[in-house]
Amino acid sequence: MKESDADTKLRDRDLYPPPTVDVASFGGRRRVGKVDLGLKRREWVILAIVSVLGAFIRLWRLSYPTSVVFDEVHFGGFASKYIRQRFFMDVHPPLAKLLITLAAFIGGFDGNFDFKDIGKDYLGPKVPYVIMRFFPAVLGLALIPISFLTLLALRLSLATAILGSLLITFENALIAQSRLILLDSFLVFFTALTMYFWVRFANLDAEGRAFTRPWWRYLTLVGLGLGATLSCKWVGLFTIATVGLGTLRQLWLLLGNLKVTPRMLFRHFAARAMCLIVVPIIFYMFMFQIHFWILNQSGEGDGFMSSEFQHTLQGHGMEDTYADVGFGSIVSIRHVHTQGGYLHSHPHAYPGGSQQQQITLYPHRDDNNLWRITNGSSVDDAQYDWDTLPFDYVLTGSKIRLEHTSTFKRLHSHDVRPPVSDVEFQNEVSGYGYEGFAGDANDDFIVEIAPKTRGKRDRQARHRLRTLRSEFRLRHALSGCYLFSHKVKLPDWGFEQQEVTCNKNPTWENSLWYIETNTHPQLAFDAEKVNYQRPSFFEKFFELQAVMWRTNAGLTDRHAYDSRPQHWPWLRRGINFWVHDHRQVYLVGNPVVWWTSTLAIALYVGVRGLLILRAKRGYRDLYAPKTAFYDETCAFLLMSWGLHYLPFFLMQRQLFLHHYLPALYFAVLLLCTVFDYITSRLRPRTRVQIAAVLLILVIWSYNHFSPLTYARPWTRGKCERAKWLKTWDFSCADFHENMSQYKHSAIAQTSAKVGSNDGLGHDFTTTMVEEAPEPIKNVFEDPNAPPEEKTIAPVGPQNEVPMQASTYIAHPPVQPVSGDAPIPEDLRNPVGLDAGAPEVTDAAEDQGGWHGGAEDPEGHPIPPPAGVAGGVRAEKILNDHAEPARAPVGAQVAEVPELELDREAMQLAEEALRADEEGQ
Amino acid sequence: MSLARKRKTERTESSPLPAHTQQSSEDEKRRPFKPLPPPPSLRAERFQSLITATALFVGAFALRFWRISHPDQVVFDEVHFGAFAGQYLRREYYFDVHPPLAKMLNGLAGYLVGFDGEFGFDSIGDSYTDHKVPYIGMRSFCAIMGSITVPIVYAIMRESGYPIGIALFSAWLVMFDNGHITQTRLILLDAALVLFMALSLYCYVKFHQQRYREFSTSWWFWLVATGASLACTLGCKMVGLFTFASIGVAVLWDLWMIMDIKKGHPMSYVWKHFWYRVVGLVVIPFIIYLSFFWIHFKILIYSGPGDTFMSPAFQETLQGNELLLNAQEIRYFDTVTIKHKDTKAFLHSHEANYPLRYDDGRISSQGQQVTCYPHNDTNNHWQILPTREIPETGRGRVVRQNDVIQLLHVGSNTILLTHDVASPLMPTNQEFTTVSKEDEPNRHNDTLFQVQIIDAHEGEAWKSLAGHFKLVHIPTKVNLWTHPTHLPEWAFGQQEVNGNKSPNDKSNAWFVNDIISDGTGRDFKNRTAVVEQKQIKTRSFIKKFVELQILMLQHNAGLTSEHPYASSPVEWPFCLSGISFWTDGKTNQQIYMIGNLIGWWICAVSVSVFIGILGADMLARRRGLDPIEDGIRNRMYRNTGFFCGTWAFHYFPFYLMARQRFLHHYLPAHLASALIAGSVLNFILVETVNYPISVAGQATRLRPMVRAKLNDKALAVLMGLLFTVVGIWAYTAPFTYGLTLTETQVSARKLLSTWTLHFEAKEN
Repeated sequence: MKESDADTKLRDRDLYPPPTVDVASFGGRRRVGKVDLGLKRREWVILAIVSVLGAFIRLWRLSYPTSVVFDEVHFGGFASKYIRQRFFMDVHPPLAKLLITLAAFIGGFDGNFDFKDIGKDYLGPKVPYVIMRFFPAVLGLALIPISFLTLLALRLSLATAILGSLLITFENALIAQSRLILLDSFLVFFTALTMYFWVRFANLDAEGRAFTRPWWRYLTLVGLGLGATLSCKWVGLFTIATVGLGTLRQLWLLLGNLKVTPRMLFRHFAARAMCLIVVPIIFYMFMFQIHFWILNQSGEGDGFMSSEFQHTLQGHGMEDTYADVGFGSIVSIRHVHTQGGYLHSHPHAYPGGSQQQQITLYPHRDDNNLWRITNGSSVDDAQYDWDTLPFDYVLTGSKIRLEHTSTFKRLHSHDVRPPVSDVEFQNEVSGYGYEGFAGDANDDFIVEIAPKTRGKRDRQARHRLRTLRSEFRLRHALSGCYLFSHKVKLPDWGFEQQEVTCNKNPTWENSLWYIETNTHPQLAFDAEKVNYQRPSFFEKFFELQAVMWRTNAGLTDRHAYDSRPQHWPWLRRGINFWVHDHRQVYLVGNPVVWWTSTLAIALYVGVRGLLILRAKRGYRDLYAPKTAFYDETCAFLLMSWGLHYLPFFLMQRQLFLHHYLPALYFAVLLLCTVFDYITSRLRPRTRVQIAAVLLILVIWSYNHFSPLTYARPWTRGKCERAKWLKTWDFSCADFHENMSQYKHSAIAQTSAKVGSNDGLGHDFTTTMVEEAPEPIKNVFEDPNAPPEEKTIAPVGPQNEVPMQASTYIAHPPVQPVSGDAPIPEDLRNPVGLDAGAPEVTDAAEDQGGWHGGAEDPEGHPIPPPAGVAGGVRAEKILNDHAEPARAPVGAQVAEVPELELDREAMQLAEEALRADEEGQ
Repeated sequence: MSLARKRKTERTESSPLPAHTQQSSEDEKRRPFKPLPPPPSLRAERFQSLITATALFVGAFALRFWRISHPDQVVFDEVHFGAFAGQYLRREYYFDVHPPLAKMLNGLAGYLVGFDGEFGFDSIGDSYTDHKVPYIGMRSFCAIMGSITVPIVYAIMRESGYPIGIALFSAWLVMFDNGHITQTRLILLDAALVLFMALSLYCYVKFHQQRYREFSTSWWFWLVATGASLACTLGCKMVGLFTFASIGVAVLWDLWMIMDIKKGHPMSYVWKHFWYRVVGLVVIPFIIYLSFFWIHFKILIYSGPGDTFMSPAFQETLQGNELLLNAQEIRYFDTVTIKHKDTKAFLHSHEANYPLRYDDGRISSQGQQVTCYPHNDTNNHWQILPTREIPETGRGRVVRQNDVIQLLHVGSNTILLTHDVASPLMPTNQEFTTVSKEDEPNRHNDTLFQVQIIDAHEGEAWKSLAGHFKLVHIPTKVNLWTHPTHLPEWAFGQQEVNGNKSPNDKSNAWFVNDIISDGTGRDFKNRTAVVEQKQIKTRSFIKKFVELQILMLQHNAGLTSEHPYASSPVEWPFCLSGISFWTDGKTNQQIYMIGNLIGWWICAVSVSVFIGILGADMLARRRGLDPIEDGIRNRMYRNTGFFCGTWAFHYFPFYLMARQRFLHHYLPAHLASALIAGSVLNFILVETVNYPISVAGQATRLRPMVRAKLNDKALAVLMGLLFTVVGIWAYTAPFTYGLTLTETQVSARKLLSTWTLHFEAKEN
């Protein structure tokens, strides 16, 4: 509420004419915002020298490592997918990846390299990886002049600007990150560029040159910069927040200036809203438009998207299907909310629970997804010949049964806990019955059509089932639970398909289903047909945003090298990028830069806090012009730093050290400002000398860690001595004892590794005595693989359900059981004395367990002979027993031969049971 | 509101006092303070106010006690908190994530009404009458606390300077709130929590009134009272920390104002204020908070269901504890079973080898599998072999801290080892396997393990049950570790065991579950000549407190499992979904905890109106307009702002919590929002506030008194609001009290489609 004198000054600036000469007050140089960059000749020369130096630092030996490093796995992979135009899903917006693709395209990359593993060789397949790395490296290089210009634009001294740009030049983490095909170089570049434009804009604005052409130019550039930053990574939102807060402050000052008319105020507001909100949004959306234009073919990202979205991709088309659904229709039913797919069943039984046939969700089209809707209200519908009965609509409230066309089981639910979600409010859903079986009341489901239809408004589809239009819930008639599925996978025995249950208290969206395909023999050839409605760009855009958001929030797995935000400012640990040939790339910052910048932040915060307290006690040191000037600059940079750093504390997802890099940039600028203030009273020569001392320290430590940055040879001893903090976990054991060994390393390496490949090389294992945090080197791996598999994908389709393409054949392809020998049951039992294992005992106990529905008339009797009366009943019980209790995976065992029992066999079984009963 | 109107006003009581700054300290001889005798109108008002407060208490009492005996069954979390009360009466140790005060009060209530603690409160719906539990008395205790809350809300508003009608309105929102009623007439913690939280606010407001009479007795009284109520709030639930934060920020603001140079106080004076507040609001509350735990430990002296949460040293302080009774010293050549502390599975091995190649292409050593297995089995037996010379007999055979041992798997006669090969599931961790006795000399180093007993001194004997230990591999320094991930078929789905590289991981802890046999085959139970009588150990209170406190915080964060009635904080202010506490299918009765819909919406709207007024006022003043009279603005910022801060502190932190969150977590914030609702209503209807409300000090310049009065129109609006609230209360009361409703009645009372009620009429 209260404004400082500096604010007042800024606010009233437009009253005074802008100064015509450079004001060398406050130690810094005051510059008039000219149209050009406002540099003198000397400054241009220095800028050129620094940039050339930076080019050496950033581009030196760019071609090494010659294999895939760290997240090149993902970002290189995305480039190849762009080139092949296969749709993929990633949590980051497309701009940076498009630029990488552009570089790859220029380099003539054909997309036939998959970047699958860290350490995969580039040279053999002739991947133009140097050009792909060149692009980010150049942007990393551009960061150096930008920091120089920004510091000058902040009206700090030339010495400070040189210092700042060189600090950025020799920052190992920035170097390592920009030399590889990674996104952070793009992100940091655009962030820095945007902030440079913003500083220039703010200078013009404060000088009262609002609405002049340069003012407009820089304002628009800020907007474009924000759009570009946001289009690289969502972290760009922090930059938007920074600029937003700065804008709010400007508007607040204007608001307090009573000489500014409301009309003028509105113009200021509208210009900023236009350039800082509308422009970035359009830019961002345009990037996605390009993304959609390029990726027009079906690919591995399909599974994340809705069916409508998939329908727009080539290779995912679906033929038109009949619109009207009636009793007797053969339909495939899809789950609305998850991407689990179609209601599915296959001739395998649940290993526990009722041990009846599995019901799952399966994502691919398949004949096992087909169900026939029959009328549950008629008594013996099983005998109906649905192909000849007149067509009758399924309305909301209709009682239906779903009959699985290939196994003749009916969708069934009863009071048994489901296999995975074993909770009180969920019931198991199974397939139950056989051909000709009249069914029981637990097969009845009631259709409840949701008021909102899919796609366009379709009034009819709200009260009768229509393909692809009606969304409906299925309520189990007896227990009132709803057919439900959620992102829970069944174990191996369910082929990792998604679980389907009947939930008494389901969430709305997870209990919604719709019909995707529909045929009915009674429908004429030219009856009304429908298909998915093609979504507009905006629908696709918003859908993709939502999916990206969910996927991003879901990345909560731990990674071997992840870290938490509180560890970043003091550089607790780095990231192991790549280890090979006794060299490694390890992302670690330049500790001198890192620690002094953190110190500068702490110093400023401490001093500022003290000054506030002093101000309350009547001291006016905060209002001295010089202090006020530096305070304003520092406060701005501190705010930028805080907004690029603190929000990470709220994120639960995996975080890495490189997420700190944008914040580090601001911390370095703040360090420079603090330096400028501390040395402001000294002569320029002394100032340069102090800067030089600091720089020597920085360059020394840069050089010290450069083997980790550029993957250069190093010795184990030097490496051990370089572990300034115990928590730095680069593995020194991977380096040679002395440098001369690197000359012979090629031969030594192959022979040693071949020898170790036989799986018995225990003698190698004890050669390494490691410290606790060091990663294990698995000596049993093949020699070309990287020493450890640490690339837990931070991106990419993790929750896609991996499974075979079809389960139609009873023998699942993932289990290629060799020849005639089925997996013997005993193998599944623990060896030796494990007889108490739950999978054994439980199965044995449950074997006879007919758990039936609670309301089943003949539900309770467990011993089969007790209540057997009719043929159908006998069949039913027999059938229940026939379901194999164990080994659902061994497909041979899981077959249900009893289903094929003919009448005679049924009678025989019945007699046997009777005999049993009489015998008792 | 009349934004344009500007009234010439005097400075209010809370403005800086220039007069005071002029007085030198010598002048400050304490003149006896003479309050003016209250004018007759004021006396009448006070009387009226007292009557209202009493009426509110009686009303709240009636609302909470009506049909308190129904249902005579365990309802919702009575399962837990009733059971805890029983634990106090049986004096058996239990563990819970909440601090003990509220539960001890429930226990006290049980004690007063003669409950013997012999009822388990096992599941919702268990009958009280069948088990002769005096539940009415226990519920009454909570209901009384809930009833006291209502007049306290009234008092907060009155002391903040609002007229009777407005204060009544705030209290009314709490009194006729279905949520508060439901929650406070059952054996739960929230009645105590909300009471103490309201009391903290009240004490702070009273303390603030004394600010011109600093360091006087009444100043000290209210300071300490604030601290004490804060401690009690925190003693009920960790939510009390939010109350601490609300009042802490207000106190810091006060200090900031005192520090202002324009007030003219020397720094020494500011420090005095600061340290006195530290004493009153930090030191004393902390001591009180500690005392709750002291009593807690004094009562719970017997072993009970909470034992296993605690460390062995703690467990040995409890009478009848299994550790105390069964812990044995372990000697070399004993055969033992070893259990992982977190997953409660035995270290296991069997005659099956690791497959040569795993699914991801990595290759194993093909050694014998070492796994964890939850069931008792002879393959869990391991014999402890020495690695140094040990004497034939005597105490030299006892295994001690930091001894290096080998473990022999008895079933297969092989020795445990780990080596530098990646484990089946985690490439970062080492594989564990065994080696036969013949090959052992080649691999001797890899079979050496050091026993590191947690929190043990050098030379301490290793004991079964009591000695939690880490098994550290000598050459590679990895810890024996397991995690609840199951291996594939080839290991029969048993749990993976591997070598963990982080030495300080808490989940490295194992313990010896049982000694199976002695190496000599003799009776190992009595191998010491004299069987010593086991004594209960003592442990210092502070250690016990710290241990329990850390465990509480850890477990609180760990409550992340799904619950069908858990809800997200976004839904709370709008009452979007409630909690089903209890249902009875026979009579179609249910208790569904949901707020008074209109009441909560009034509160939610008031909060947004308040924020809107603040924003508009700031913008207007920035443009040189002054729409709100100074005195009213001051009250708006200081008082309503304080309430709003309290609301925010009791609400927004829940967004950051990953644990299960329920609607009843909003009740303290709802109370704060009811206070905001009152003051916003006052701003709209009355346009003035009572002042002065603070007690004048000797240097305070006395100003003419202003009393806010509701005019007829305002009264009419107020009455309308009050009746609406009562109407909604009555309409949804069947869910609160568990009355019988037909299905159509249930459906009609489902005011929002998001409420998940039972026994609704089926649509078809």
